[in-house]
Amino acid sequence: MEMNEIGGPAVRAEGLVKHYNGRGPTVEAVRGVDLDVHTGGIFGFLGPNGAGKSTTVRMLTTLLSITSGRAEVGGVDVGRDPDEARRRIGVALQEAGLDPRQTGRELLVMHGQLFGLSAAQARERAQELLALVELEDAADRVIKGYSGGMQRRLDLAAALVHEPDVLFLDEPTTGLDPASRLTVWEELRRINGHGTTIFLTTQYLEEADQLCERLAIIDGGIIVREGTPDQLKADLRERRPGGEEPTLDDVFLDATGRTRDRAAGEVQEVAA
Amino acid sequence: MSATMVLGKRALREAIRQPDALFMTMFIPIFFLVVNTGQAAEIFPSESTEFLEGQGYGAFQLPITLLLAASFGMAALFLVEEIEGGYFDKLRAIPIPRYAMVLGRLVAEGAKGVVLSTVIVLIALPFGISIASGPLGFILLIGLSALWGVVYAGFMQCIALKTRSAAAVNSGGLIFFPLLFLTPNFVPRDLLTEPMEIAATLNPVTYLMEAMRSLILDDLDWEKILPGFGVVAALGAVMLVLNVRMIKRYD
Repeated sequence: MEMNEIGGPAVRAEGLVKHYNGRGPTVEAVRGVDLDVHTGGIFGFLGPNGAGKSTTVRMLTTLLSITSGRAEVGGVDVGRDPDEARRRIGVALQEAGLDPRQTGRELLVMHGQLFGLSAAQARERAQELLALVELEDAADRVIKGYSGGMQRRLDLAAALVHEPDVLFLDEPTTGLDPASRLTVWEELRRINGHGTTIFLTTQYLEEADQLCERLAIIDGGIIVREGTPDQLKADLRERRPGGEEPTLDDVFLDATGRTRDRAAGEVQEVAA
Repeated sequence: MSATMVLGKRALREAIRQPDALFMTMFIPIFFLVVNTGQAAEIFPSESTEFLEGQGYGAFQLPITLLLAASFGMAALFLVEEIEGGYFDKLRAIPIPRYAMVLGRLVAEGAKGVVLSTVIVLIALPFGISIASGPLGFILLIGLSALWGVVYAGFMQCIALKTRSAAAVNSGGLIFFPLLFLTPNFVPRDLLTEPMEIAATLNPVTYLMEAMRSLILDDLDWEKILPGFGVVAALGAVMLVLNVRMIKRYD
């Protein structure tokens, strides 16, 4: 994997908490998350369904209010200066959220203009991005007709319009076939190669193992493991000597207290 | 170009690419114009019906046709679709003023309202309907109709932002829709039964309808026209405050 120069923190969270107060009892979705994501790397954020991954990402990307604690992206306090934080981040959420009635090119041009580019600059940037994600041939077709993989790539391109410092990707390959997943991985490596820090949530452990330099595992709204994939495996090996070489699956199961049976359907391995 | 205009342009493109929705917006009001005029024209012949000011009954029905067409905006449903599909969050992650996210669609509704109202009036002209207040009256008529479309779409958009549900938006439409008919829709207010006259007098849409009717049947009569603009201004202000508040609190 292509490695980048490691710098200061691109993302920092201190005691991040999110409570939902509905008609029933208060739901504590995130219960004090601390994170330190170095600039220039690919950071993996793992956890079972309902562990607090997406809630954490939504707080870090200004989409959800923070109950308590604080978060910074690119050195900007997300709660105090959300617009400045938004300038520094690109966001591609769980579903490829795109406007189905626009063409790929129209969508990218519009995003460019919303980020303050002139119409000509936005058109030029859209062309660059369409080439980056290899969608030039489909650029003038309406998005409704794109395949799932094409929509993901366009979503990625839309998140990159303003050349963000940090790119947040919430399960970018969920639901994609293995070939499309590999294409997205290649895109992510290429984007990271240009110096963009990537914060990635995924349910696919092999994806995390392949792409991420550092990982955090969240369960029940708190971080239960953090380190490089090799560190996490070595730590488990030390604690359980004599067995088979631990995989990231074993680390995940150990961290979340799940058995393989219980984890089935929550975390998946991918054959890519 | 401001974020509001960029998003407005996008919303217009969205409407143009959904021609079936535009067709229904035009078809249903024109259908009611034809049916209502066909049913009541013999009861109210133009020669002997004073309130028609020498025009046919179709001219009296034209305001409700325009108000109906303006109330069939799809902005709120497109917004719900966008929220459910996740694109709304994508827009929220862009550093644009929050108000631009609600105003963009309303600007597009205004532009659409101008075009649709103009087309409906142009369709009505060959059937003996004329705009007695002249070119300025025509512009004011189209403006009132388009502004009502913006106000109505804005209230529907509030429901969309609050509930994030297409079913709730449709139900909200059913609640607001009767306001269009608690009006002097078939005859002037002074010919309504007493309970209906009270209801129509309390209903702000009545003043809008009477302003539009005055523009079609009379010379420029500012005593009737200004209350119509007053209603859209007052309701528009409430609608804008609610929209901006909701988008700022959207979590």
